[in-house]
Amino acid sequence: MIRLENIQRRYVSDEVETTALKDIHLHVEAGEFLAIMGPSGCGKSTLLNTLGTVDRPTGGRYLFGDRDLAALNEADLARFRAETLGFVFQSFNLIDELTIEENVALGIAYRRDAAGNRRDRVAAAMDRVGIAHRARHFPHQLSGGQQQRAAIARAIVGNPKLILADEPTGNLDTENGAQVMNILTALNNAGATIVMVTHSPSHADIATRRIDMLDGRIVASATRAI
Amino acid sequence: MNRFGFQSLYRSLSRHKLYAALNIGGLAVGIAVFLILSLFVRFETSFEKWLPHADELYLVQSEWTVPDSPVQGAYPYTMSGLLEQMREDFPGLLGTRIRGGERGGSVIQGGVATMEDVAQVDSSFFQLFNLPMLSGEGKALADPSVTLISRSTARKYFGDANPLGRTMTIAFDEPKLYRVAGVFEDLPANTDLKASILINMPATPPPGAADYWFHWGSTSLRTYLRFPDAEAARAFEKRMPEFVNRRGAAYLGEKPSEIMAISLLPLTRAHLQPAGQESASRKLTVAALGIVGLLTLLIAIVNYVNLATARAGLRAREVAMRKVLGADRGALIRQFLGEAVLTVAVAAFLGLILAELGLPLVNAAGGLSLTLPYAIVVPGLLLLALIVGVAAGFYPALMLSRFPAASVLASARSPGGGRAGTRARELLVVLQFGLAIAFIIGTMVLSAQTRHVRTSDLGFRRDGLLVVQSLADSGVTEAQARQIVTALRALPGVKAVGVSDTAAGGGGNNNTDSVAIPGRPGSGPSLRRLTIGPGFFEAYAPRLVAGRLFDDAYGADNNSGWRDGLPRNIVINRKAVSTLGFASPEEAIGKTVGGKQPRTIVGVIDELRFFTPRLPDDPTYYVYYRDSPGESFATIRYSGDAQAMEQAVGDLWRRMAPQVPLNARTADSLFNEFYQADDRATRLFAIGSGLAVLIGCVGLWGLASFNTQRRVKEIGIRKTLGASSTDVAKLLVGQFLRPVLIANLVAWPLAFVAMRAWLAGFDDRVALSPLFFIGATLAATLIAVLTVLAQSLRASRAAPSWALRHE
Ligand SMILES: Nc1ncnc2c1ncn2[C@@H]1O[C@H](COP(=O)(O)OP(=O)(O)O)[C@@H](O)[C@H]1O
Ligand SMILES: [Mg+2]
Repeated sequence: MIRLENIQRRYVSDEVETTALKDIHLHVEAGEFLAIMGPSGCGKSTLLNTLGTVDRPTGGRYLFGDRDLAALNEADLARFRAETLGFVFQSFNLIDELTIEENVALGIAYRRDAAGNRRDRVAAAMDRVGIAHRARHFPHQLSGGQQQRAAIARAIVGNPKLILADEPTGNLDTENGAQVMNILTALNNAGATIVMVTHSPSHADIATRRIDMLDGRIVASATRAI
Repeated sequence: MNRFGFQSLYRSLSRHKLYAALNIGGLAVGIAVFLILSLFVRFETSFEKWLPHADELYLVQSEWTVPDSPVQGAYPYTMSGLLEQMREDFPGLLGTRIRGGERGGSVIQGGVATMEDVAQVDSSFFQLFNLPMLSGEGKALADPSVTLISRSTARKYFGDANPLGRTMTIAFDEPKLYRVAGVFEDLPANTDLKASILINMPATPPPGAADYWFHWGSTSLRTYLRFPDAEAARAFEKRMPEFVNRRGAAYLGEKPSEIMAISLLPLTRAHLQPAGQESASRKLTVAALGIVGLLTLLIAIVNYVNLATARAGLRAREVAMRKVLGADRGALIRQFLGEAVLTVAVAAFLGLILAELGLPLVNAAGGLSLTLPYAIVVPGLLLLALIVGVAAGFYPALMLSRFPAASVLASARSPGGGRAGTRARELLVVLQFGLAIAFIIGTMVLSAQTRHVRTSDLGFRRDGLLVVQSLADSGVTEAQARQIVTALRALPGVKAVGVSDTAAGGGGNNNTDSVAIPGRPGSGPSLRRLTIGPGFFEAYAPRLVAGRLFDDAYGADNNSGWRDGLPRNIVINRKAVSTLGFASPEEAIGKTVGGKQPRTIVGVIDELRFFTPRLPDDPTYYVYYRDSPGESFATIRYSGDAQAMEQAVGDLWRRMAPQVPLNARTADSLFNEFYQADDRATRLFAIGSGLAVLIGCVGLWGLASFNTQRRVKEIGIRKTLGASSTDVAKLLVGQFLRPVLIANLVAWPLAFVAMRAWLAGFDDRVALSPLFFIGATLAATLIAVLTVLAQSLRASRAAPSWALRHE
């Protein structure tokens, strides 16, 4: 489904040059649950952002299905994200001024093709992660685990082909972390493709495949025996 | 606040340069507007208050309630001899009359007359108007051969030489030699009293005035009375009906008090609430400008609080750190209040500078000479700085010092007050833009109205018309006047010269006459009566509605030497048609009205509107004297250059009547006088509301920049979720558009009520069209969009990954 070929990402600022990604080759097949591990600053988030098209590589090719994403302009990329991707962040990134329900609805707010009843889809997504009873609350009224589940609901409400999760359990305690992993596993079992950054080896073990990064390169790849 | 406090303020101001500029600049502009407008209000409300014991002085008004008459309501004039009759009936009464005044007479020097503010006053004048004397004494005025002159008049006629004992020829009723017995200080700007030369009121009616001096119903001069307290004034007023009935019965019918009342208006109120129909508007204008000033200041303060709150939100982390480091709540509140007061003081100082810079502009626009009285302004501003500083700093201080330190430090986002904070800020935008829109509407209506009266149809062409008022001067004999008119007609470029007792721009005689309608009881409705001579209708060229104009071919058109008691012909205006009870102009033609003086209507013309646009047109009839009526104005209809015509008329006048100062003015300039006050108000209103809008924009801009900054992360999230730059820009602009649109709900009713009241003061007025409202809304919306667009576009283009990292 995804092919990254020779991806490079360099940051230049004040004459200091940082290379966040070097010669990245990566294939992700539909239905995979891929875990990315590696020390802080090795480029995991940059890779995930590149996959999510919120960051543009400075070199290489990114093919999604048979589309070359380099050919798309800003507006087309925005549309691509709205229709194809779901994001989950370490710090949840819910919008304070909106209710949980409204936050979840944001996941399909920018979709032109949103078929069916939006309210029903939002309700279904909240049901699926078990926060339906908090629909009218504001983010700060919820626990971290509940907020992250709301963020997951937002990510899945549009039935994305690919879910990108950057340390989704990083800010959660063990119990809430396990709960989030259960939801992700269930989503994967239901057919969603997931790419997840994590620091937790046990969470990485839940994934079907795992890659390790160091200094902007992929250094190892292992597939879990099923 | 200690040294570190100052340092922290300085750093915080210089770190957030934009906020500092908005915060201080906005408030400074608000303070400057407030200062200037309150100076104006102070000036307008200070009239006559500079006089010693001003609160004991009263202006005597004549109040008319004559059915069907154009003469209605209160007038600030009385009969000439009223005070003399009052003194007879109320011994010990303290009062004075002022006859003449502004351009009331002239000084003749070397055979040439110069118009001056000559006033004839009673010798008791100084007991009421205790003008400060530079030399001599007010008492000297008891001598009829003596004059008192103002400081600048003394300099004008005697230079640096001592004027005391010198003589000057002053023409009032007639030219006479006077000896200067004293010099008084020039009258200040805040007075309606206009006098630079004072002479004694004669003990017996002067020549030419004898027939109206004691004629009840006439109004010819101003009478003032002094009472020790309001109680005494009220008691005196209560005895007036009986006095009016006793003295006026011979002139005003059996029960004069039913149609005429004598009332007392405290002199200190006379400027803002003058008698007559214009009374409401002046007070309204002053009140409106005062409110504009106050609201501008309020808007500026609201912005200050708003921005201070917004910035304080961004500083929450600093506050939390300080708390963790051991600062107690009291210290933090003191720090914030200190900063706020200091910032407001800086703004007040800048505002003072702005006001000083703006005052010449405002003085020029408003025809004023306002100056900043530092003795009041500086302490006032210090007090303002303290009050506004505390008011503005209080909320942020309390809000911030209450923040639980831990939650602020733990939170990834700066606190913005959540949904309630957003609502509060929207409300502020609504209020400011509501007021700004109301001001825009007001300014638009005011300027539309002032433009309208300049171009509205007066019934005659207003350009190419010169009115020679001095032809009516008592110094010009009737024979002389006739010669002058003939000579004027011969001037090149003159098309027609008409004489009449009233001409365009008003002035002259204001005669009304009851016209009895045959077959109906009573003396009939009151009509304005214009006495005209040859050339009048040629000069004004009114539109003929029915019948014909006067024509020397008809003997009955002429009133000169009318003795036979047969009906004489009149021309009436359209308004008089219905007043006299006719269904149509055509029906009126040929009908005879009037009792003892029967009058046959031969023509109906459209209204010739000679007076202020504030007053309704009067039903009027015109009578014709072939031998031009005495004491008339001449109206010259000319073609070509106005200045050349004035020059030619001036030369002719100085040749034929050097003893009388020429008073000739174009109809345009005479009408300008009617418009001046409203023009000034419009300009001041425009300046004030322009600044109010500016301040509103500064506020909106600041809010927008605060909000976009605060929403950077949200923008990142939305873009990650698939929002395009256009979506985000729409969101940001829309966020401010909504309150701006809601602001119309505040503005429209406010402006509607205020403008309807103001327009009601005009008889000839523009309609309160919805276009004003829609126009103002569009303008405000456009301004608002432009204000927030640049920032919104910039914010919308930010890369989402950058925004997500942004804290
Ligand atoms: N906007 C940026 N400008 C400059 N350097 C950046 C930027 N974003 C990330 N980096 C650098 O790229 C490297 C990889 O960062 P990141 O992908 O966030 O690491 P990780 O998520 O693995 O901790 C780091 O060295 C980081 O400092
Ligand atoms: Mg990271």
